[in-house]
Amino acid sequence: MNAAPLLSEGAWSVGSIWVVILAAGALTYLTRFGGHLLMSLFGTIPPRASAALDAVPAAVMTAIVAPVLVSGDWAERIAIVLCLIASFRLPLIVVVVIGTALVAGLRALGL
Amino acid sequence: MSGRLVDPEGRAGDGEEVGRRAEAAAAIRALMPVLLAVLPFGIVYGAVAVQEGLTVAEAMGFSAVVFAGASQLAALQLMGIGAPIWAVLLTVFALNFRHVLYSASISRHLGAFSPARKALAFFVLVDPLFGAAEVRAARTRLTPAFYFTYGLTMYAGWQLATLAGASFGKLIADPEAFGLDFVLPVYFLGLVMSFRKRGSFYPVAGTSLLVSVVVYGIAGPPWHVSLGGLAGIAVAALLGPQRNGAGGGPGGMEGEGR
Repeated sequence: MNAAPLLSEGAWSVGSIWVVILAAGALTYLTRFGGHLLMSLFGTIPPRASAALDAVPAAVMTAIVAPVLVSGDWAERIAIVLCLIASFRLPLIVVVVIGTALVAGLRALGL
Repeated sequence: MSGRLVDPEGRAGDGEEVGRRAEAAAAIRALMPVLLAVLPFGIVYGAVAVQEGLTVAEAMGFSAVVFAGASQLAALQLMGIGAPIWAVLLTVFALNFRHVLYSASISRHLGAFSPARKALAFFVLVDPLFGAAEVRAARTRLTPAFYFTYGLTMYAGWQLATLAGASFGKLIADPEAFGLDFVLPVYFLGLVMSFRKRGSFYPVAGTSLLVSVVVYGIAGPPWHVSLGGLAGIAVAALLGPQRNGAGGGPGGMEGEGR
């Protein structure tokens, strides 16, 4: 609603901060509930849509991780590739521990 | 082959309490490595929030109401440079848009949840919980005990971490030296890989990887997540239903194009 610049230099009014907090919370809940709402509105799911939904975890989580390859430091880049290979054989928790230790170690070496 | 056996909801009896405990224990085991990353992140968020001029109550209010770390930090940043409210809210919405996809996918596994539990379940639907719940649903049945033990423990941890960060500033001097900033990426990588037996995994993940990196380079965050994710999902929709092994039960006979 309010188009004027809101806050700067610690001049945030208490009221407007809580408006932002509550509105941000409502919007976030909308995104978390929205998919379920759409699903119940449509009722039955055609096979193609079902296949698309099955792909959500792989697709979205890959998209979250991918920038590590281009934006991460070298320690992260090396570790993410090694962990990718390791995850074909090792359980998740082991890969997480190895990856974290690897990044810490590589950074200690100055990478 | 039949996809999966129809399992009637009721499995009342003596085993119920034991089963619930086992579910809760499995959830805690799955959550432990995640807390290693989430708690320092929450502390950093709390410290930044106070530095930006929020009171402890406001910093905690943000964590309690929104419960989405990346968008909380982004909102702080924008408020700090004096951006208008609508720009702050638009950014929060864009950063959190991926939840729509999570919500649509996970709602198929919430059959055992009452309406009130569903309402609460979606409130705590964060990335690691989504991944863990999907993995759980692919292996066995997703129960409220598993889901809420994971989700509510993480929620409580996030509030406590925010409080610690807001109260005492930076407790952890340099989380990066310990590689803690890498825990979540590698955890998500591991979750992704646990879906590699699903029919169209490689085209889907490959497309998401490519589109995410390209969009990240051109437009920067947060759009790489939603666009990269949607690109992979579009590929899955184009390929249509595939036989898979990781999901419910053994794969069928007729394999479609690879």
